[in-house]
Amino acid sequence: MNFRPSAILDELVDRWLSKVAVLVAVYVTFRGHNAPGGGFAGGLVVGGVFVLQFLTGREPHIRHRPIRRPTLLLGFGLLVALVTTVIPLVVDASPLESHIWKLNVPFIGEVKVVSSMFFDLGVFFVVVAVVLMVLLSLGARGESLVGDDGVGAS
Amino acid sequence: MSLSLLVLVGVLFAVGTYLLMERSLTRVALGVGVLGNGANLLIVVAGSDSGQAPIVGRPDQLTDPLPQALVLTAIVIGFALLSFVLALAWRNWTITENDGVEDDFEDRSLVSRKEGTAKPGDAPHHEDVAR
Amino acid sequence: MLFVAIVAQFAVGGLTLLGLRRRPANAALIGLVVLASAAAMIVAEGVGVESTPRSRVDWLPALGFNLTLELDGFAVLMSIVVLVLGFGVLLYSLAYFEHDATYARFVGLFMAFAGSMTGVVLAADLFTMFVFWELTSICSFLLIGLNDTSESARKSAVRALLTTGAGGLCLLGGVGILQTELGTTTFAELVKLQPSGALIDAAIVLVLLGAFTKSAQFPFHFWLPGAMAAPTPVSAYLHSATMVKAGIVLLARTSPAFGQSDVWRWWVIVAGITTMVIGGWRALRQTDAKLLLAHSTVSQLGLLTVLVGMGTSTALYAGVAHLLAHAVFKVALFLGVGVIDHELGTRDVTKLAAARIRLPFVTSALVASTLSMAGVIPLFGFVTKEKALVALLDAELGLAGSVALVGVVLGSVLSVAYSVRFLHALLGEVAPDGTRGDDQQNGEHHSSTLIARTLLGAPVIVAATASIVFGFAATQIGKWLVAPSTSLDVLAKSKLVLWPGVNDALIISVVVVAVGAVVGWRVPLAVSASPNSLGERMFDAIYDSILSASKKITQVSQPGSLPIYVVVTTLVVAVAALVGLLRDGMPSFDAFVTDSPLTVSVALLTAVLTVGVAVVSVRFTAAVFLGGVGYGIAVLFLMRGAPDLALTQVLVETLTIVIFLLAMRSMPRNFIPASKWPPKAVRVLVSVAVGVLLPLVALAVYSARRAPSVSDEYFTRSVDEAGGANVVNVILVDFRGFDTMGEITVLAVAALGVVNLVRVAERNRRERAS
Repeated sequence: MNFRPSAILDELVDRWLSKVAVLVAVYVTFRGHNAPGGGFAGGLVVGGVFVLQFLTGREPHIRHRPIRRPTLLLGFGLLVALVTTVIPLVVDASPLESHIWKLNVPFIGEVKVVSSMFFDLGVFFVVVAVVLMVLLSLGARGESLVGDDGVGAS
Repeated sequence: MSLSLLVLVGVLFAVGTYLLMERSLTRVALGVGVLGNGANLLIVVAGSDSGQAPIVGRPDQLTDPLPQALVLTAIVIGFALLSFVLALAWRNWTITENDGVEDDFEDRSLVSRKEGTAKPGDAPHHEDVAR
Repeated sequence: MLFVAIVAQFAVGGLTLLGLRRRPANAALIGLVVLASAAAMIVAEGVGVESTPRSRVDWLPALGFNLTLELDGFAVLMSIVVLVLGFGVLLYSLAYFEHDATYARFVGLFMAFAGSMTGVVLAADLFTMFVFWELTSICSFLLIGLNDTSESARKSAVRALLTTGAGGLCLLGGVGILQTELGTTTFAELVKLQPSGALIDAAIVLVLLGAFTKSAQFPFHFWLPGAMAAPTPVSAYLHSATMVKAGIVLLARTSPAFGQSDVWRWWVIVAGITTMVIGGWRALRQTDAKLLLAHSTVSQLGLLTVLVGMGTSTALYAGVAHLLAHAVFKVALFLGVGVIDHELGTRDVTKLAAARIRLPFVTSALVASTLSMAGVIPLFGFVTKEKALVALLDAELGLAGSVALVGVVLGSVLSVAYSVRFLHALLGEVAPDGTRGDDQQNGEHHSSTLIARTLLGAPVIVAATASIVFGFAATQIGKWLVAPSTSLDVLAKSKLVLWPGVNDALIISVVVVAVGAVVGWRVPLAVSASPNSLGERMFDAIYDSILSASKKITQVSQPGSLPIYVVVTTLVVAVAALVGLLRDGMPSFDAFVTDSPLTVSVALLTAVLTVGVAVVSVRFTAAVFLGGVGYGIAVLFLMRGAPDLALTQVLVETLTIVIFLLAMRSMPRNFIPASKWPPKAVRVLVSVAVGVLLPLVALAVYSARRAPSVSDEYFTRSVDEAGGANVVNVILVDFRGFDTMGEITVLAVAALGVVNLVRVAERNRRERAS
């Protein structure tokens, strides 16, 4: 991909679009319980941002994001999902049984939080990690890209 | 049951199967993608009637959510699977400069041990060198 | 408590194999302590108590399968035999083996085997017995193959495993039939029920096959002599004194339940008699002392089979008595020959005579045990064989009884004959090139210290002494044996005496000994023992033909070409679909609703794009077409009320196109040509068949729906229980959350796979470049 990114595109993608997209993704993930969306879709939205960065030649940028080790993210996501699966067992319910908290948040009013949302958050992290790993692996080769600092374990 | 979707399922399966029988690994990967789409559509078409999105509270007839839940994960897994096949193809290309599916050496040697009659077409295939 | 006795032995076995590999002798000492305390515990718990101790562990209570142990009289007798002989043999092994890794393996497996065998004799029902039974088969396999560098040892081990394993499967079949038919496999219950019927007959045959394979009855007798490839302690313990008795134990336990059935009686008598005669004849022809004993074991097992299996109470009592007698004299014989082998380096019957000079005590012990085996007064073997003859003479079983009597007499003649042959070897002239000269040839066999010799000799001498003492104390032993045999069958009450007075049995005995002695002197040894018996050759032929047949099937079914595999697999699916459709009739086409023009046009466009994926020859274009197909389907999902799917599909398709482009960027522009095989016409035909049949099946499936979808329930529970209105999402994270957990795991595995595939390829490329 020999795009020559313009400075404006740079600015747009890095500064704004990516951050907005992450916000969108989190929104999509959490609203999934009541409307179309959810962890899979949310994770894929973030994946879309990565793709955009790839296509604009911003691959090094992804590499030096806070998420430097996608495998860790993968493990974290699986762990979150697993913990939400197991916790009901501790309180003597069946695995994955949902608990519903109703919180009164100032200014917003009553907010309903369901424990299975955290499961979806785990799914979200896993999907993000998977997309990241696949992109970095298959995209790693090539002269124009910084490809030597390992993929999963930089 | 929608006739046009059913026909589309048929086309997807036919094309997917056809691509799977190819030599080129990239085409096999394409076949996997097409078949995956076909299977997803099949489950939705045969498993539920058309209707409103299954969100409680909406008016009208809601469609069956179960096939959708099945297919939702299938779509993402299909993506992971396709990535895996592509990684295989990529790796095959990187190492051997060849995009073809090789015959299984063990099986070939077992076949030729007694009779020595290889079937036509199993002869070494084209090296793609049009780089 | 009973389980503790078994588990402790397994624990020592495991400890030895895992932790004490370097110090096998220490492990063996621990093993000795465990065996001794287990025996003590058995005596304390089981002798002279009012009620029978029982232990039970629930395994599959829903299916009625539990592990149940019971320490009745027979179990006490047998477990003492197992544990005490185990103690003796383990002691012996301390001096017999070099203390290397092989010995560690021996000790570990030996203890595991002793535990399994204790389980077999303590089992209160067929299922429990089967479990331990299989464990003994596995231990036996590993012990026969202890010397894993020897090809013949490995072969013998496989033969033994496959034969006893097949028998084990038969036994399992029998267990299954009995459990489903009668609802129980407990021995006591079976005896009470006295079941009969066609299915029960089938179960009987299966149980008998299990017993016959284990106890090396004709026609499965061939594996036992092969098992002699194992070191002497293994042969002595497993393949003469204990494991091969498992079949006899099974017969003894089930005979009071099934013994009155004709199927049972004829199978037992014919197999037992044939085995006894064949084994005796083969023993007579051996030149290797260990093989002679192996064949004699086969022969004696035949006798035991007849006695415990024929179904009269006196015979059962005689069988139990002879079981004890045989275990005692046979372990002494095996171990004694092992001592000679160890010290003189020969087992050839023409050279054994040298032993009486070098090893006088062991030789005397061997002589005494051999006389017991031949059934000569005043040894214990005489007492039990007399009892057996009396039981056979008294049995009123018509033709079957006569056959049994004649067979046993013939077999006994052969027993005396090979015993005489063995005695002759021990007491005959020392061969001129004798083993005295072995000082030079086999110098390494003289290194045994006094302690080692004592360890080696003691078990032999103790066992031989037991044969003598038991003979003189026959009356008392006979009283002790009443409890074991009545625990099998309440009527099996009898007694033993050393001097029965002149009766029919004694006369027969005298004739048998006389004829046998003559035969033993006169019949020549085989010039060279044939390396493989007929049974072994038949086994090998079957084994080889199975292997070569599977190879042929592989040749046909797996030509190694992916396209052909896909064609075959697809054809099978297509034919299965076709058959289903033809059988159930074509689905009705009434179910169709009219599609909106928008749906039709999007579907049409998607179909065109799909065909495009297959037709274009440029990689890039094909990938973009595939993406187009995905977007088209996303639109269709949206129109069908599946916004979640549409959203996910759009995102995934975008990613898919990108990774396609990434993966293909260095590949050539066009695809390589398709293979010539299978030809294009076939491929098109197969694809079209799938494309036509699958939608028809889908239609049939759709029309076949009878019950309402489970989703109806999900709709009602979704908001209250899971707090979500989007039922698709609630299914994913709550109702079917476990599935999702599995699916994200699959995702993780696939991603890790991609990463590593690429990384390895990358490294490979870099290495080549440098």
